[in-house]
Amino acid sequence: MIRFDNVGLRYGTGPEILRDVTFHVHPGSFHFLTGPSGAGKTTLLRLLFMSLKPSRGLMFVFGENVAELTAAGRSALRRRIGIVFQDFRLLDHLTTWENVALPLRVMGKQETDYREDVTDLLRWVGLGDRINAYPEVLSGGEKQRAAIARAVIARPELLLADEPTGNVDPAIGNRLLRLFVELNRLGTSVIIATHDYGLMEQLDAPRLVLYDGHLQVR
Amino acid sequence: MTLLADIRDYPWKGLLAGLLPARLAALLPQRFQTKSAQIVPPASVAGNALTVVIAIMSFLACLTLGAVYMINQSATAWVNDIASEITVELDPVNSADIEKKITLVSLFLAKQKGITQVKPLSADDSAKLLEPWLGQGSALQALPIPRLIAVEIDRSNPPDIQLIKTALSENFEGVVLDDHRRWQAEIRTLTRSAALGGLAVLGLVAAATIAVIVSATRSAMASNREIIEVLHFVGANERFISREFERHFLGLGVRAGLMGAAAAALAFLLLPTMISMLGGGVVTAAETQRLIGSGELDLKGYLLCVLVVIVVASLCMVTSRLGVVRVLKNYA
Repeated sequence: MIRFDNVGLRYGTGPEILRDVTFHVHPGSFHFLTGPSGAGKTTLLRLLFMSLKPSRGLMFVFGENVAELTAAGRSALRRRIGIVFQDFRLLDHLTTWENVALPLRVMGKQETDYREDVTDLLRWVGLGDRINAYPEVLSGGEKQRAAIARAVIARPELLLADEPTGNVDPAIGNRLLRLFVELNRLGTSVIIATHDYGLMEQLDAPRLVLYDGHLQVR
Repeated sequence: MTLLADIRDYPWKGLLAGLLPARLAALLPQRFQTKSAQIVPPASVAGNALTVVIAIMSFLACLTLGAVYMINQSATAWVNDIASEITVELDPVNSADIEKKITLVSLFLAKQKGITQVKPLSADDSAKLLEPWLGQGSALQALPIPRLIAVEIDRSNPPDIQLIKTALSENFEGVVLDDHRRWQAEIRTLTRSAALGGLAVLGLVAAATIAVIVSATRSAMASNREIIEVLHFVGANERFISREFERHFLGLGVRAGLMGAAAAALAFLLLPTMISMLGGGVVTAAETQRLIGSGELDLKGYLLCVLVVIVVASLCMVTSRLGVVRVLKNYA
């Protein structure tokens, strides 16, 4: 599904942030991505999401060589990926419901076909009473859950999450982890970037450890 | 194929609701309604200032097109009028008995094929034609004014003008036939000049509109950069993103185009009154009327204003789409 061969990345003429990164992500797998702050976790997630291009090495996403992708091809692959950003990236002029429904809208689905699904998912992540609220009145944890709901609503083949439990209390954190595990059981590959050792210990999943730009699989 | 697929997949139902003000859109049938808000907020794309600028452009385009149309209509009527008539001029100096000569020439003309009516003008009628320039009085009567015969021709079966000219010069002395060709050519030149001038103005208006829309598109994309990034993250392609912007510009084009066309239609409705209010005397009014007719647009003229609305709206939509696609090339 994902293959990195000796991938390196540098910004402009600066030093390499990622060096000789090599790993595979198989369909239906679950990985934690961890490492100290500034190790390059977010950069690696951005590479996986194709919002950055590697400076060197080979990178395949869903069997496609990223270096050869057109803009349309990149968009098509992104529709198969769900992503949760650390800063949520919710649109302030849309309600929680509209934010979560955005990927389905972009896919061209009819609103009547997904209206109930979106509402059900929002209830499941504990935002049933915040459906019509705008992001500016949501707490950090509520925004986090809305962002996660948006990432998973279209049942992506690959889910990337950057510190998804960073702003929520342990109970909600466990609930979100259960959501990720459930998605994984249904066939979605999951990569969660986190510092939270408590979260990682709850699940026996391989860890991609980034340190000083190098990646090790443990 | 891409264009056909684009037209087929276009969210036409949502577009209709998007073009109307919220209160009117709420009255549409349920299938045209959508619960979701627009992804790109309308206020971040089309402000009042931009609407006013495009409305002024539409107004100028409608005025130009309407004026060219009126001049063309008036000139066509004039050409048709003079093309169905020829004038025979009799020199009074070389003719002892002018009245007898007029009768003879008239009888000769009446016998020719393709001539439907021969109308000799009396001396008073000929003098009256010169009154606007020479005034009334005895001095006019003292001048050797040429006598005229107005001849109407059958346009479906026209006579051989050259043959009649030759026959007249062989049989009568001091008789000249004028088939008004020089006037027709001059009117056609005037009409072409007006049309070319109008085209130049329309070209400038279109160029200014395109420049304004390109600038507004870039500005809208810059202020909505975060939305574009999020759309990219959820897998939106260029076509989807450009549609989100172009629908606003289409709405803007329709609204502004209608405003401009309505103002121009009002101006054309009031034009006859304005011409008479501006004054300038009977001769000025007559000359103005000769140039642009009564100053009123007919149905075809108003349809041209509707055409301007369609062109302006399409221009706004297509320009914004191309602008969005160009800017998106720079995004990852």
